[in-house]
Amino acid sequence: MEHPGADAALLEAAAEGALQPEGAGTLTTCGYCGVGCRLRAHVHAGSLLSITPALEGPANRGHACLKGRFAHRFARSRERLTEPLIRRGGRLVAVSWEEAIATVADRLGAIRRDHGADAIAGLASSRGTNEECFAMARLMRAAIGTNNIDNCSRVCHSPTSYALRRSLGLSGATGTFDDIERAQAAIIIGANPTQAHPVVGARIKQAALRGLALVTIDPRRIELADYGVLHIGIRAGTNAAVLLGIAHVLVREGLIDEDFIAQRTEGYETLAALLDAYDPPTAGAIAGCDPQAIEEAAHIYGDCERASILWGLGVTEHRYGSEVAQLICNLALLSGKIGAPGCALLPLRGQNNVQGSSDMGALPDTYSAYRSVTDEAVAGSFEAAWGTPLSRRPGYRIPEMLDGACAGDLKAMYIVGEDIAQTDPNSAHVRAALEALDFLVCQEIFENETTAYADVILPASSFLEKEGTFTNAERRIQHVAPALAPPGQARTDLEIIVDVARALGHEMGYRAPADVMAEIAALTPHFAGVTYERLGDTGLCWPVHADGSDSAILYTDRFHTASGRGRLAALPYKPPGEQPDAELPLTLVTGRILEHYNAGTMTRRTPNLALCDHDRLEINPIDARRLWISEGATVSVRSRHGRCELRASLSERIEPGHVFASFHFPESRTNLLVGASADVNTACPEYKVVAVDVRPLSEAPSQRPALASGR
Amino acid sequence: MSAERGEPIRAEQCDSVRVCLDGGWLEVGVGETILQAAERAGREIPTLCFDRRLAPFGACRLCLVGVQGAGAPLPACTTRCHDGMVVDTTDERARRVVRTVLELVLSELPGDPLPGSELDVLARRLGVARSRFAGRTHERRHDERHPYLLLESELCISCGRCVRICDELQGAFALTATGRGFDASIAAGLDSGFANSSCVSCGACAHTCPTGAIRERLDTL
Repeated sequence: MEHPGADAALLEAAAEGALQPEGAGTLTTCGYCGVGCRLRAHVHAGSLLSITPALEGPANRGHACLKGRFAHRFARSRERLTEPLIRRGGRLVAVSWEEAIATVADRLGAIRRDHGADAIAGLASSRGTNEECFAMARLMRAAIGTNNIDNCSRVCHSPTSYALRRSLGLSGATGTFDDIERAQAAIIIGANPTQAHPVVGARIKQAALRGLALVTIDPRRIELADYGVLHIGIRAGTNAAVLLGIAHVLVREGLIDEDFIAQRTEGYETLAALLDAYDPPTAGAIAGCDPQAIEEAAHIYGDCERASILWGLGVTEHRYGSEVAQLICNLALLSGKIGAPGCALLPLRGQNNVQGSSDMGALPDTYSAYRSVTDEAVAGSFEAAWGTPLSRRPGYRIPEMLDGACAGDLKAMYIVGEDIAQTDPNSAHVRAALEALDFLVCQEIFENETTAYADVILPASSFLEKEGTFTNAERRIQHVAPALAPPGQARTDLEIIVDVARALGHEMGYRAPADVMAEIAALTPHFAGVTYERLGDTGLCWPVHADGSDSAILYTDRFHTASGRGRLAALPYKPPGEQPDAELPLTLVTGRILEHYNAGTMTRRTPNLALCDHDRLEINPIDARRLWISEGATVSVRSRHGRCELRASLSERIEPGHVFASFHFPESRTNLLVGASADVNTACPEYKVVAVDVRPLSEAPSQRPALASGR
Repeated sequence: MSAERGEPIRAEQCDSVRVCLDGGWLEVGVGETILQAAERAGREIPTLCFDRRLAPFGACRLCLVGVQGAGAPLPACTTRCHDGMVVDTTDERARRVVRTVLELVLSELPGDPLPGSELDVLARRLGVARSRFAGRTHERRHDERHPYLLLESELCISCGRCVRICDELQGAFALTATGRGFDASIAAGLDSGFANSSCVSCGACAHTCPTGAIRERLDTL
């Protein structure tokens, strides 16, 4: 049959005339993680019956995961926002769209008049389409007049973006997921793909079963470690030491490509001098791992011809995350394993469009394709297209927005599809900032922790209800097609943004998402050849040239740095922002799990709850025994910044001395524990290293103040 | 060049071979199967245990075709093309075997195949409405413990697609073939249900199942 694997339930419905046959359905792109699975959405009588994986998807090849395939019933949840709401006298009141848009424009206009445009900030959503993110950036820049625009890549992969631009030139993976199967060896550091990026996790696992030599480096013994040839369990926050140790061995053993280094890189001498200090015993002592493992990892990576490196937020969400990501680039540059099949640097992007939202210039310092707002020529081209003068002053990043709100400098925020009160660190500070704002607009599909502070809530649409494009972790721009209409009076995010801009006196002139893409292509060389028609069923990897040819593998002959050479970074190990001590002896690492997704706004409204209905604190049995903690016990977790309660889950997968918690359920308030420590270059929060004290709840710390800091 | 010197051509020396499919010659890649060649030529060969995401299995015998010089019909999914091969997808003997195999498969089901399932569509296409073989049929056994996945064992025909896709595409190794002969079926984990196995709820088994024995639950919509 042309399409094997027809889900019988659907075909049953098809036989009854209820559904299109397999192979039909709306071909679209998944709205969960950054893998970018192509899916078919099967709709009958206005409701979504099922989602099946598309065989032609380049990233998923006919596969899907629990979230993409099944967790779609949130779309028709009764809790969906279906009408605009305005807060009056402490209560949210339903109003017409005209009134809601007019209120937003009036209030923002008044704040701009009284306090200047820079008193207003916007957040574009990495869950939204490229078109929406571009339009949102335009709303802030052209309709309001400020560069105060950011997106949630700030709190995940902004360090990766910074590092890739610095070391190699472009902010994106250097290859595609196909390089996993083409490689002979791979290193996975600070990522847990079978949980967080399940379809790529499955591809890695299959590759490992077929002989890919896999090295995993993490404070958790991730599932893929069971399929690898080497696992290096390290202390959280010591990635740099291990990577420097591996680089040391590569140089010492001559596992480097001297021609490549001479012809295509710069900075080798300085790096080589630095590496002297990181012999495996030294690096191993810092990282808390066996020095021999560092030797072995270097050989596994260096001895073969084709090897790739994958990483996730376990690399970036640290005080020196952007430096560690450069140390990853070092390994590829030293060994010449870049710009060729099987030799890719693959950051596993967290959200469906976290790559695209940044590509689109929803950032305080850059226009689309990471071109500086201070660049006269670029700014001029946008001024010409948008017919209005644009600010050359870089805007606030998310943490600065929150600080600005608390300080009284920032008066209003317009937040699209992001629940910062639940997901951003230092939750108490976030809530204080939201409280301090004069005016908050939330454009959302559900009420959440952040909308509790909103003055106006605009009901928007999920990925199943709109057209546009997402860009996945491979830089692959893929089409998103609507399978459903937005519920009630809810509208697509693009329609809302266009209307708000119009009410503020700025006519965007977009009638459809394709118009936005046409403008993106016209103003962005990397997107020059992008049209929906050319994207077709399988998408294109940027840069897409004017003739429509794309770029699956970057840097085949030169890097996109000023000199055309890759920059080797001589950056030493520096300790994380927090260290465990006698009072807070354990290190908390936060992250996500298979069954749920980030704020849980979507997955908590699906039967995924039957598979997992609470956040857990993973703790090593050695620590658990010492602390009298048993499986399932409720424990108190206290950090310097806050305290929360979680149920304990004993697991050998976490290194002794560490605990792990997810943050999917608002009642857990996991992010109360995380402080203000952040990446030095990008302000990405240090979610991965928090010193905590854990104890059974029966010994409530509040009742034993002598045991706390006052001792 | 080697051929001119009288040496046999080795497979790695040529890119393609020529096969004759139902009277028409076509060029196919070295190592391609008859099923792949047929797809290239736009000829449909029925399959039941085949899924392009998986390694060919050759178990169901529904893709049998006639091959000149072969003693008996050969499965198209596992037989590789060789140069000069002459294939007849309409071979009468192969068609007869295929229909009988399908009848035997249907004879084990307690009722008609699930309407619209791949098995149902195939039976209609091959004109096998009812089985001539009476006898024991599978007993009804349902597992409804998972929020998304339903297992109705009586519909299972032991094609192994679910077990293979769980192994070869997902890598969860959550499904196992159990029982022998007539009692052969599949189970999640040690028959403990999907939720209590190494299942990661990806749904690949339901997507590939040709009978609906494992399928997505729509009753919880």
